[in-house]
Amino acid sequence: MPRTAETAKPCRCERKVAHVIKLQDVSYVRLGTADLDGATKFATDYLGLEISHRSKDSVYLKSDQREHTLCYFHGSAADQTAAFEVAERAELDMAASELDRLGHRVRFGSEKESELRRVRSFIAFQDPTGNNIELVWRPAYSSQRYHGERDAGITGFSHIGLCTTDAARDEIFWTKVCNARVSDRIGDAALLRIDEVHHTIALFPTDRAGIQHINHQVASGDDVMRSFNFLSERQVPMVFGPGRHPTSSARFLYFEGPDGMVFEYSSGVREIADELLYRERQLPFDAKGFCEWGAKPQIKEFRN
Amino acid sequence: MVELQQLRYARLITDDLRSAADFAQRVIGLEPIDRNQELATFRSDYRDYTLAFASGERAVQSVGLEVRYPQDLDAAIEGLRGLGLSSGRGSAEDCAFRKVKDMAWFMDFSGNRIELVVRPLNSGWRYFPSRDAGIRGLADVMLRTVDLEKDLSIWTEILGARVSDWAGEAAYLRFDEAHHRIALFPAARPGILAVEYAVEDVNLLMRNSYLLRDLQVPVVHGPGRRPASEQLFLTFAGPGDVLFSFVAEGVAADTEPRRPRQFPAGPAGLCNWGSECKIGEFNDAAHGRNGQAMSV
Repeated sequence: MPRTAETAKPCRCERKVAHVIKLQDVSYVRLGTADLDGATKFATDYLGLEISHRSKDSVYLKSDQREHTLCYFHGSAADQTAAFEVAERAELDMAASELDRLGHRVRFGSEKESELRRVRSFIAFQDPTGNNIELVWRPAYSSQRYHGERDAGITGFSHIGLCTTDAARDEIFWTKVCNARVSDRIGDAALLRIDEVHHTIALFPTDRAGIQHINHQVASGDDVMRSFNFLSERQVPMVFGPGRHPTSSARFLYFEGPDGMVFEYSSGVREIADELLYRERQLPFDAKGFCEWGAKPQIKEFRN
Repeated sequence: MVELQQLRYARLITDDLRSAADFAQRVIGLEPIDRNQELATFRSDYRDYTLAFASGERAVQSVGLEVRYPQDLDAAIEGLRGLGLSSGRGSAEDCAFRKVKDMAWFMDFSGNRIELVVRPLNSGWRYFPSRDAGIRGLADVMLRTVDLEKDLSIWTEILGARVSDWAGEAAYLRFDEAHHRIALFPAARPGILAVEYAVEDVNLLMRNSYLLRDLQVPVVHGPGRRPASEQLFLTFAGPGDVLFSFVAEGVAADTEPRRPRQFPAGPAGLCNWGSECKIGEFNDAAHGRNGQAMSV
């Protein structure tokens, strides 16, 4: 991939990597908001999540068996964090020293912060674009199953879109420093997997840092369509779909939530079972690369 | 009792044959077959045609169903006369116009014209559509009825069809492996409500949905899924007052006879995705209008 002069900042992640950080799963997203009540109402009544617990200035929301997968807290809407699970406590220390070696400032979470996040321990850092990332160890599972506020058919929090200001550089970070693999590319936007699911992280070129969209899986294509009608009737802005991604084969619907955050429902995401035989594909960065039904995206990062 | 073999065609009247033909070809995506001053026919599958637009004095609105033998026509006419309905055999000219060997017609209690045909023409050539709409063939026809109970008796007592399910007072009727080939909807006037074409799968249904939007064709119901037949559907306005639909998926008729199930009247019983419905007959049904008492 050609690098322009503008993006040719020294990228330390291209140095030899001593330890690959093994991401096990995406755990949760933390979003600041000036209107905690409004955001909570959207997350429960519209998106269909269940309130897991509240603290003084935060609401923790549940979408599957995990204790929570989304947190809205009172703060700036630009304050956004995505968290990934690692398998071992030692992985946190190794990741911290590796990230430190590559020039990322790493912070160990306090006991109180860990308790609020319902994790044993975590570290926080920024990826090369400046996205806030947390690595968590032993995030809590719930003894009670998820029961949504409405029957959206949600089966769980599944993936995130991340903003990137340099797609080539960040692809190297997530695939060389971390264990992600490229499943497909739409233009320069890389869809990355960390397990058999087609993508858990998607990097979308743009001019800012932050979370670009938040995906929840639903049980069927019928659920996608029901939500399209349910949310349309309630004037929730539809920004893309209903449609079907040629990359992951998932049926999708994108709509806007509080503070302009884009949420996605999708169903039927492809799984990549054979790592050796799979070869990533290049799709065009236009409406046809994003949807095989003919829907046209109204999402800034999905348009030229 | 007459045994219906299959649904064959819908014939529609138009006073603008050129634009009706353009709609059939460019919007629905059917293959043009015959075309002259008063007639345009269109293929959707192995049948020579399944849709005909006609203008002039020979134009009628009718639904065509195939029966096997000319004796079936006699038996049908006898039964229909017993119900007091007007009916008759088609002339040689009528048959030639429809590309069938023999035929009979009757008017149901509402005034819908139904045609029974023997040896309708099949195409020896495979279907080659005007655009890649993914059409598999004519699926079913929805008919309006002003007296559901009496019109239903024609289908069940003379023509051997069975009720698959009810949606409010509306009845889905089957006579082959499909969940339904004819649906009767209570209405204030007679006429074909919609002609429905099957498309390959959900992808084709949704592609057509976006294409219709680009072509600025008004979608009046759907995309949605019917609770009774589990069909995906997309219903849109046609060139005249007859609607067209694309349908996909759906359950086949059970091999074992089962009881018809009762679903709610109106949009709630016709779509379980909650899609917007702009079809007057369906919305009226939800409010107990159409002059039908809501017994459920």
